[in-house]
Amino acid sequence: MAAAAATAAAKGNGGGGGRAGAGDASGTRKKKGPGPLATAYLVIYNVVMTAGWLVIAVGLVRAYLAKGSYHSLYYSIEKPLKFFQTGALLEILHCAIGIVPSSVVLTSFQVMSRVFLIWAVTHSVKEVQSEDSVLLFVIAWTITEIIRYSFYTFSLLNHLPYLIKWARYTLFIVLYPMGVSGELLTIYAALPFVRQAGLYSISLPNKYNFSFDYHAFLILIMISYIPIFPQLYFHMIHQRRKILSHTEEHKKFE
Amino acid sequence: MKHYEVEILDAKTREKLCFLDKVEPHATIAEIKNLFTKTHPQWYPARQSLRLDPKGKSLKDEDILQKLPVGTTATLYFRDLGAQISWVTVFLTEYAGPLFIYLLFYFRVPFIYGHKYDFTSSRHTVVHLACICHSFHYVKRLLETLFVHRFSHGTMPLRNIFKNCTYYWGFAAWMAYYINHPLYTPPTYGAQQVKLALAIFVICQLGNFSIHMALRDLRPAGSKTRKIPYPTKNPFTWLFLLVSCPNYTYEVGSWIGFAIMTQCLPVALFSLVGFTQMTIWAKGKHRSYLKEFRDYPPLRMPIIPFLL
Repeated sequence: MAAAAATAAAKGNGGGGGRAGAGDASGTRKKKGPGPLATAYLVIYNVVMTAGWLVIAVGLVRAYLAKGSYHSLYYSIEKPLKFFQTGALLEILHCAIGIVPSSVVLTSFQVMSRVFLIWAVTHSVKEVQSEDSVLLFVIAWTITEIIRYSFYTFSLLNHLPYLIKWARYTLFIVLYPMGVSGELLTIYAALPFVRQAGLYSISLPNKYNFSFDYHAFLILIMISYIPIFPQLYFHMIHQRRKILSHTEEHKKFE
Repeated sequence: MKHYEVEILDAKTREKLCFLDKVEPHATIAEIKNLFTKTHPQWYPARQSLRLDPKGKSLKDEDILQKLPVGTTATLYFRDLGAQISWVTVFLTEYAGPLFIYLLFYFRVPFIYGHKYDFTSSRHTVVHLACICHSFHYVKRLLETLFVHRFSHGTMPLRNIFKNCTYYWGFAAWMAYYINHPLYTPPTYGAQQVKLALAIFVICQLGNFSIHMALRDLRPAGSKTRKIPYPTKNPFTWLFLLVSCPNYTYEVGSWIGFAIMTQCLPVALFSLVGFTQMTIWAKGKHRSYLKEFRDYPPLRMPIIPFLL
């Protein structure tokens, strides 16, 4: 869902580089983009993020070639993964100050779910770091983010190659389910260790009359994928139809 | 007397939905809505939004046809607000829930705590006191809904009742679970802390009620007039000197008192969420007051004196 969510509100946005625009990439809607300073900053931000995820991609390939197997590749890209995924928190700020025309709530939800998986599951439960499911969502995220950030970069510069737009609105068909599977399997793998260690849990009695069972919480999170993932997925499919067919029509009339 | 003609179009599709001829010039929007319902009975007046412009603001029920910027053939645009439910119904439902639910936990009804605790009673005085306070609070709210409040809108969208009840009932269950738990830990500073908290709670409940009465007296029964509220002889209303919405100020105070009394983190969280929502409402109300009244007292803040 973190995978799905991040590209979910991917309504093509010509000038703003935002997550949720009007879904109209050919710019027939009047839109007041960010000012020149904000645009310059956003271009730099998106270029840096594209580069960061490319570093992760290259790191994965190199580690695979060096080790000769695809197991336990997480350790080779752990630091850049944490750095660049956590850095995406800035995107919440971008929405809050208005330089990106997306909903703060939606963006927060998307970024926080990614950050949750990285820190509160994978980092916190060391035993799952060697699971193959981790590789599954890392690959899905990596490809998705490289495309997404380059999409924003090109959009801000008003030179969006059709290939990038196509990739953003097509590859999700495979990458979403792949990412979601990786995430769910990883959380599932973490469960016994969380229960055993009583991780992040507090029980009664205590001074503040409060209790929290992280194990139960993780199960609730997994259950929440059931209503949320299909909605995000079909939203993207709907967006795809709107945006890719629209561009096709424009091409026809040229 | 010249009669008007009114045509009603769908705001989204521009489809002609209804044509009314021989409409009196001094007919109100409310009357036009009633006429519209005759031809489209599924759209009762409460769910109709009529406006002069498809994307414009809704016209008010009291607006008079000949006072509007229209010719003798008026075009109105209709938008369906969706199924509506009365405010009174929503309030009664959302407040009756917590009252009842809390008592389920207080009496330790089976299947909540372990079997050996079924129908047992807590040995801590503060737990009994908390039950009295919580129940009093919601009984007060129910009575105010029935006898005190004068609502400017009759209805709200139906989906709100599900959203609101989930919030109130959910939090009530969550708080009640811990306060009435067999392993509940009473406040660190004992009876002193409970006494202080009770004082805060009682003062704020009285304050909140005083404000509700003052607001009620501002508006005659059946009317929708709006006036600036001012302090009255009741000292609790003197908070109007400093804030626009002292009812919210006192409400937050009540819950802070309850949180100190029970020393229960979920209660503190509930207070925080409630405070956030009430601040949003208070700011909105404050802004409306400023817009509507040129002579609005400048010292007043929305909800917290001098601060917020």
